[in-house]
Amino acid sequence: MPAIRLRIFAALLASAFIFIPRPNFVTAQRSAIDTYAITNARVVTVAGPVIDHGTVVIRDGLIAAVGANVTAPPDARVIDGTGLTVYPGLIDSSTALGMPQPSPTPTPSPGVAGAGFGQFRPETSAISALNSTQPPGLQPEVLAEDFIKPGGEQIEAARNAGITTALTSPRQGIWIGQSALINLAGDTPQQMIVRSPVALHVGFTPLRTGNYPNSLVGVFASLRQMLLDAQRYRQAHQTYERSPRGMRRPNQDRSLAALLPVLDGTMPVVMYADREREISRALDLAQEFKLLPIIAGGLEAGRVADRLRESKVPVLLSLNFPRRITAALPEADAEPVRILRERVEAPKTAAKLVVARVPFAFQSGALTNMADFSVNLLRAIENGLSRDDALRALTLWPAQILGVADRLGTIEAGKIANLTITRGDLFDRNARISHVFIDGRSIDLRPEVGGAQAGAATGTWTLNVNLGSGDIAVTLVLQQEGERLRGSIQGGLGSSEIANASAGPSGDLRFTVPATFEGQTAEATFAGRITGNEMQGTVNVVGRAPGSFTGTKAGAPAMPVASPTPPGEFRSAVKVNAHLSGTWILSIKIGTQTFPGTLNLDHNGRSITGLLQSPFGTTPLTEGTVDFEGFHFISRARIDGRVVEMAVEGNTDGNEILGTVDSEIGFALFAGFRKR
Amino acid sequence: MRRLFIHLLTCSLLAGFLLPETFAQGRAGTPDTLIRNATVLTVTRGTLPNADLLIRNGKIASVGKNLNVGNARVIDATGKYLMPGIVDCHSHSMLDAINEGSLSVTSMTRMNDVLNPHDVDLYRALAGGVTALNLLHGSANAIGGQNTVVKIKYGRPVKEFLFPGAMPGIKFALGENPKRSSFNPQPGQQRRYPATRMGVEEVIREAFTRARDYKKTWDEYRAGLARRDQNLIPPRRDLQLEPLVEVMEGKRYVHAHCYRADEILMLISLANEFGFKIKTFQHTLEGYKVAKEIAQHGAGASIFADNWAYKIEAYDAIPYNAAIMTRAGVNVSMNSDSDERARRLNIEAAKAMRYGDLSEEETLKLITWNPAWQLGIHDRVGSIEVGKDADLAIWNGHPLSVYSRVETTFVDGEVFFDRQKDLARRADLLKERAQLEQAEPNRPPSGGASPATPRRRRPTNHDDDIWEGEQP
Repeated sequence: MPAIRLRIFAALLASAFIFIPRPNFVTAQRSAIDTYAITNARVVTVAGPVIDHGTVVIRDGLIAAVGANVTAPPDARVIDGTGLTVYPGLIDSSTALGMPQPSPTPTPSPGVAGAGFGQFRPETSAISALNSTQPPGLQPEVLAEDFIKPGGEQIEAARNAGITTALTSPRQGIWIGQSALINLAGDTPQQMIVRSPVALHVGFTPLRTGNYPNSLVGVFASLRQMLLDAQRYRQAHQTYERSPRGMRRPNQDRSLAALLPVLDGTMPVVMYADREREISRALDLAQEFKLLPIIAGGLEAGRVADRLRESKVPVLLSLNFPRRITAALPEADAEPVRILRERVEAPKTAAKLVVARVPFAFQSGALTNMADFSVNLLRAIENGLSRDDALRALTLWPAQILGVADRLGTIEAGKIANLTITRGDLFDRNARISHVFIDGRSIDLRPEVGGAQAGAATGTWTLNVNLGSGDIAVTLVLQQEGERLRGSIQGGLGSSEIANASAGPSGDLRFTVPATFEGQTAEATFAGRITGNEMQGTVNVVGRAPGSFTGTKAGAPAMPVASPTPPGEFRSAVKVNAHLSGTWILSIKIGTQTFPGTLNLDHNGRSITGLLQSPFGTTPLTEGTVDFEGFHFISRARIDGRVVEMAVEGNTDGNEILGTVDSEIGFALFAGFRKR
Repeated sequence: MRRLFIHLLTCSLLAGFLLPETFAQGRAGTPDTLIRNATVLTVTRGTLPNADLLIRNGKIASVGKNLNVGNARVIDATGKYLMPGIVDCHSHSMLDAINEGSLSVTSMTRMNDVLNPHDVDLYRALAGGVTALNLLHGSANAIGGQNTVVKIKYGRPVKEFLFPGAMPGIKFALGENPKRSSFNPQPGQQRRYPATRMGVEEVIREAFTRARDYKKTWDEYRAGLARRDQNLIPPRRDLQLEPLVEVMEGKRYVHAHCYRADEILMLISLANEFGFKIKTFQHTLEGYKVAKEIAQHGAGASIFADNWAYKIEAYDAIPYNAAIMTRAGVNVSMNSDSDERARRLNIEAAKAMRYGDLSEEETLKLITWNPAWQLGIHDRVGSIEVGKDADLAIWNGHPLSVYSRVETTFVDGEVFFDRQKDLARRADLLKERAQLEQAEPNRPPSGGASPATPRRRRPTNHDDDIWEGEQP
C-alpha cells in the first residue's frame, strides 16, 4: 500500500510542477548573445515551401535571413539543427495569460444541479477601470495591457508547449475590455506587448453580483443600450465640438468613448460564442450595429459556416474540446444524445471551417493543462484537418486575423524572431519542443517531467557564498533532469530563478542568476562541481573580483522516487521532523479549473492542527497526523446544505507542498509553497 | 440545380408568365397534401364528418367531401380527427433565460434574443398537437420583458420560428412574484423595491409616467427638427421606455400575470388612467369574481384549468373559472406555463367541459381560436378555414378524450411530428447512443464530479416561478 501511494505521489509530483506557483519567477533570461544561427534544420516557413536543409539567422530580435544557402554569421551562436524542425512561433489567439486570476468564493447553490467540485463556479470578480460610469463587467474601456503581469507558471507552460505569442484579455464580464497581443517573454509588460489594443472582447455571461443584468436577456438589452448610448455620445460631442458656444457641454464618459472605435469599424469585437445559437445571436447583434465581429470559442461554428463565410467573420477556434467530466452513476439521468454528439463532433469543426473557407485560428480556450492543447490539436488532425492547415491556424492565420501578419506568423527575413523548434514533426505524437525563441532570445524550457530520473543536483542546497566580504548564506533549490537544470535561490543574494543552467554527468554545474548584493542587482555566474551531497565552485559577478561558494545538500533527496519501498525501510519523502507549521499558499486543481487556497498548519510532534481555506470556505482540520508518508487530515465543509468530508493527504519538500483532496463529491489536487 | 430551376420560375413569374400555383408562394416546390376522410373539427364552422382537407403552399386550400386529389400526397385519416394546431398563450419553452430579476422594470429585455430552437420540449409540444407558443418573460418584475410568438418549426433556424405578423407584446406581473423577488438579496445588494402589492402598482404607474415624459421629449425633438432648429441633439433612446410608449400607442399587447381579483381591477383602472388596454390577464385564477369587468375592458384571460391553492394567492381558484368567464363574454384560453403541461393542453381544455359544461366548440376554442385572438394571430391560425395557415394535428381519437393521441402535426403544411416515424427512429437512436457513449470524450472519468440525478433535474413546470433557470 505505501508503495502504491508513493508511486501515485511521484506521479502527482511530476504533474504538479505545472501548478506550483513561483512567486518571484523572472521570465526572461538575459543573455548577452543576440545572434543565433540554426543550421542544417528543416525549416517550415509557412510563407513558402519547406526548406529541408536550411539555416535561420536571428539577429537583434528579428529574423535576419532564412534559406538553404544562408551561412551562419561568424558572431552567431550556432545551433546544429540536424534532426530539428523550425516553425514560426505558435500563436494562441485567445487567452488570459498574464491577467489577474479571479478569486473564487463558495457559491451556495439552491436550485443549481449538483454542488460537486465539477459544478463549482467561481464568483465573478471582473477587473474595474477607474472613474467608470459603468459597473465592473460593463466597462469596455478596460485595457488588458494595464493588467499584464510578466512571468508566472501559465506563461511558462504555454511556452513549453511551443507558444510564443498570445492574445490576452481578462475572462470575466460582458464588455470585458480590450485585448493585447503579447510575446510570452520579457521582463515588463511594455516589452511583451506586440500590439495593443487589438480588439474589444464581449462575453455574454450575466453579472454575478445580483445587479442588472443578471440574465442572458438582460445582457443583450444592456449591450444594445450601451451601443445606442455610444452612438448618441458621438453625435452629442460632434455637435458640441462644432459650436460649443451656447450649448451645454455633454458629459465625458470613457465607457461610451471606448465603444466608438467598434462602432466605426476600426476595432474588431471578439465575441465569445460556442453553440450555433450563441454564434447566430452574436452575429445578429454585430449586424444590428455594423460591428466587425470575430467569434471566439466556435464549438459549433461548422453549423454556421455559410453565414460566417458570407459575412467574412473569422473564428478563434477553441482547442478546449468538451468532454464528460461527471462520474458514472447508475441513478443519474442519461446524458442527452445531443450532448454526446457535440463532444464527438467538436474536433471536426476545424476541418469543416477549412472546407467552408471560413478563416480561423486556434486558441487554447482556458485550458489549464497545456498537454491537452497538443492532444486536442492531434484530434483535430485525426478528424480531417491537414497538418499544413493546422500549422497555419497556429501561425499565419492568427497573425492575419489579429492584424500582425506583417511582423509575425511566418519565417521571413525582417519578421519578429519568434520560433518554435521541435525534434520530430510538430504534429507527431512523440514530438518534443527543443527550443523556443521569442523576440530573438532563447527561452529556457522546463525539463520534461515524469520520464527522466532526478539528477544528482536535485535537492535543496545550503550555500556559503563568498564575494570578498564574508559568507553569505543562500538556499539553492535545484531540479535536474538529464542535463537540464532549473531552480531558484533565496537568502542573502535575493530571490530569483536561475537561468542558462546546465549540469554535466560528472557533476559539473553552471548557471547564472540575478543576484542582489550590497543594494545592487547584477548577474552572477556560478560554476562548480558536485561531489555527493556537497558542491563547491566559483562565482563571477560582473564588475567584481571572482568569489567562491561551497554548499551542502539538506537531508534526503527532495524528489521522491517512484520505486517500491521495502517493508520496514524508511524512505522518507518528507522529513518526519520537518516542521510543517506556517501558512501554505495553495493552488487547488478541481477538474480543469484551478483555485487558490490557504492552509494554516500548526505542527506539533506527530499531529497537525489548523485551518484550510478552500473554495468551500474556511474549515478546521481534524485527525491531523504526520508520518513518514506525509501528512493526513480531515476537513469537513458544508456544501449545498450537507456536510462533506474532505480527506486530505500530502507531502512537503522544504517550502513546497503537494497533495490530494478526496471526498464523496470529487477529487482534487493541490500544490503550493510556504508563505515567507 | 433545383434551386436554380425555382429561381428561374420565380423570375418568369415576375415577368408575368402563367405558372403552376405551387411555385407562386410559400415553400416553393412542396407538394400538395390531401388529408382524406377525417372528422374535421373546424372550431369556428362546426364538425365535418368524413371530410377531406387540401394543403397547398402551407395554407388550407380547401375543405370538403371528395376533394380532387391531383398530384397531392394523400394521408388517409379514416376514423381520425383533424383539428387546428393548439396555441399555447403562456410558455417558457426554448428560452435560454426567462427572468431578468434584478430590476422591477425590465421592459428592455427581449425573449427574441434568447431563443433555443433545439429545445427538445418543442418536439414534445408538437407531439401534443401544439403548433404555436407565446414565449413570455418570467414574472419576477412588475413590468417584465418583451414576448415572442413562434410557430414550432422544430429543427429549423430560429428566424423561421418567428410568427409573421404576430403582435408584439410585453409581460407584466402582479402580486406575490414581483414582490417576493425583492426578498433575499445577495450579500452587498440592496433589497429590491417593491415589497408590497401597493408598491407593484406604484412601479407600473411610475414607469408609465416616465414613458409619457419620454414620448413628450421625443415629440419636442421631432418638432424641433421640423422647425429646423440648430444644434439639436436627439434625446437618449431608452430601450426600457420605448416598449411602454408602444403600449400606450396600442402597438404592443400587455400580458399581465395576476391571480387576485383586486389586482385585476387595479390594473384595469391603471390602464384606463394611461389610456391603454390589457390584452390578456395570465393565470387569472380569481377572474370569475371580476369576469364582467374583464369583459368590459376587452381583455382576454389565459388560465390554468385547476391549480387551486398551490400558493397563497391561488387559494380562491375554482375549476369553474373558464366556464364562468366564457359565459360573461371573456375570451378565455388554457395555457401551459410548463413544458410538461404543454403536451396535454387538450386535457386541460376538456376539464372545462367537465366543470361548467362548455360546449365542444367552446372547449376547443380555449386552446385554438381564443389564444390565437389573444396573440393577434387569429386571422392566420386557430381554426380550420380556407386560406388559413395549415397548422394542424391529426388525432387518433377525439382530442377531448384522455385516450387520444396525436398522429401527425403540421406547421405551414409541413409535417413536424409523425408518430410512426418517431417510433421507427427509436431503435436507431438507441444504437447511435450506444456508439456515442463508447466514444472517448463521452466516457466517464474516474473520480469525476457527480452527475445530475433525477432529484436535481430541472423542473419543467414553471408556474411562472420567479427563479426558474435564473438562480446564479
